[in-house]
Amino acid sequence: MISALTVRIPTAVAPRVQPTMISMNGVSKRFGSFEVLKNCSVDVGKGEVVVVCGPSGSGKSTLIRCVNGLEAFQAGSITVDGIKLGHSTTDLTRLRRRIGMVFQHFELYPHLKVVDNITLAPIKVLGRARAEAEAKAMALLKRVGLAGKADAYPAQLSGGQQQRVAIARGLAMDPLVMLFDEPTSALDPEMINEVLDVMTELARDGMTMIVVTHEMGFARRVANRIIFMDQGQIVEDVETQRFFANPGSERAKQFLSKILNH
Amino acid sequence: MRYLDWSVISHAWPFLWQGLQTSFLLLALAMAGGILLGTLIAVVRLSASRPLAAVAACYVNALRSIPLIMVIFWFYLLVPLFIGRPVGTFTSALIAFTLFESAYYSEIMRAGIQGISQGQMGAALATGMSRMQAYRYVVLPQALRRMTPVLLTQSVALFQDSSLVYVIGLHDFMTSVGIVANREARLIELYLFAAFVYFVICFSASRVVKRLQDRMTVA
Repeated sequence: MISALTVRIPTAVAPRVQPTMISMNGVSKRFGSFEVLKNCSVDVGKGEVVVVCGPSGSGKSTLIRCVNGLEAFQAGSITVDGIKLGHSTTDLTRLRRRIGMVFQHFELYPHLKVVDNITLAPIKVLGRARAEAEAKAMALLKRVGLAGKADAYPAQLSGGQQQRVAIARGLAMDPLVMLFDEPTSALDPEMINEVLDVMTELARDGMTMIVVTHEMGFARRVANRIIFMDQGQIVEDVETQRFFANPGSERAKQFLSKILNH
Repeated sequence: MRYLDWSVISHAWPFLWQGLQTSFLLLALAMAGGILLGTLIAVVRLSASRPLAAVAACYVNALRSIPLIMVIFWFYLLVPLFIGRPVGTFTSALIAFTLFESAYYSEIMRAGIQGISQGQMGAALATGMSRMQAYRYVVLPQALRRMTPVLLTQSVALFQDSSLVYVIGLHDFMTSVGIVANREARLIELYLFAAFVYFVICFSASRVVKRLQDRMTVA
């Protein structure tokens, strides 16, 4: 692994001419006196894949949960596709319709069949007809390799399968952005790849993605940029190649040597 | 035992049966209304609005501190004073039971809602649902399912409590038994019979609840 790190692999990183999809400006968040996020600013262009990494408790999850308003923040602003999210909760549902989210613990609805998990929001939130929503759900299940599981309940599926259903559920709303909050951390090792494969394909299809993950292989293959966080601050925000070859900060170097060395 | 005359029961059965039906109707409607209202109160109590949550908490605590028989009695006496006309005994009893039981059902539903992980609410909100939609389609169906055995156990108690409507003279099963017992001067037979009927109904219901519970633990 070390040798791979020192060799610079020339890959064409597309210059960022794409319009900005997500723009975070000076976002800060406190829990009491504890500062979870300190003055975080990030821009994510349309079609970009950004991996957020860093030690536990560095604020990675909180950062992406701010993007769709699941966490409130005290200072700064976030704009997603032109919709501004101040520190008050304005127009949150309108914003969330366009942002898919995948959670560490899947959070499928256990009382609903797989197909109903996927069609619930399109029917209730977007007002789509059931037949139309179901046709789309079937297409999405096929895309994540689970065409035969529409009538199963979540508890009957493996962790990897559940997470792929969760991705399909997010995609059913035709999102502009997909957020992934440690999507493989709760999975058995042999199921991680089936989820990462679906995510890789999604990235290839041009989806704008922010992914919180410890899967550095995935980050290296798929991400355009890496954001490294520590103690609530964005320490690095650089192109993938550069991050792995020559991280700018001491903290990132330490982090990389710890997680790539075993 | 040879002084007992059980034929009085078969003679009075049509009248007693009518009373039993009234009891069942009261149970069914108060249960439905109580669970619905109780769920609403539980949601309000868990809402982010502190004043609303405090009002809901007051409601629950107040009703749980008053004996049911007082609620039935006072509702029957006071409401006509306010609305200026008498309320039927059944309506009066039904409203009293619904309000009273909703306090207990709301505590059960609150526990049920708190037992569903925060992540479920987060997932629902993340797909653009409003809080109300998230409760309705995601959180409450799970809470209701999980709490069904407890809600049914509470309803068995409600059925027993429904005998208290004798204070306002509603012809439920217990009142009917009392009427026949006094008319025929056969108190022992009729009250033994009443005890037997309540026992059979409540015991079978709690067996059903137990089986339901066992099945849910396996699943």
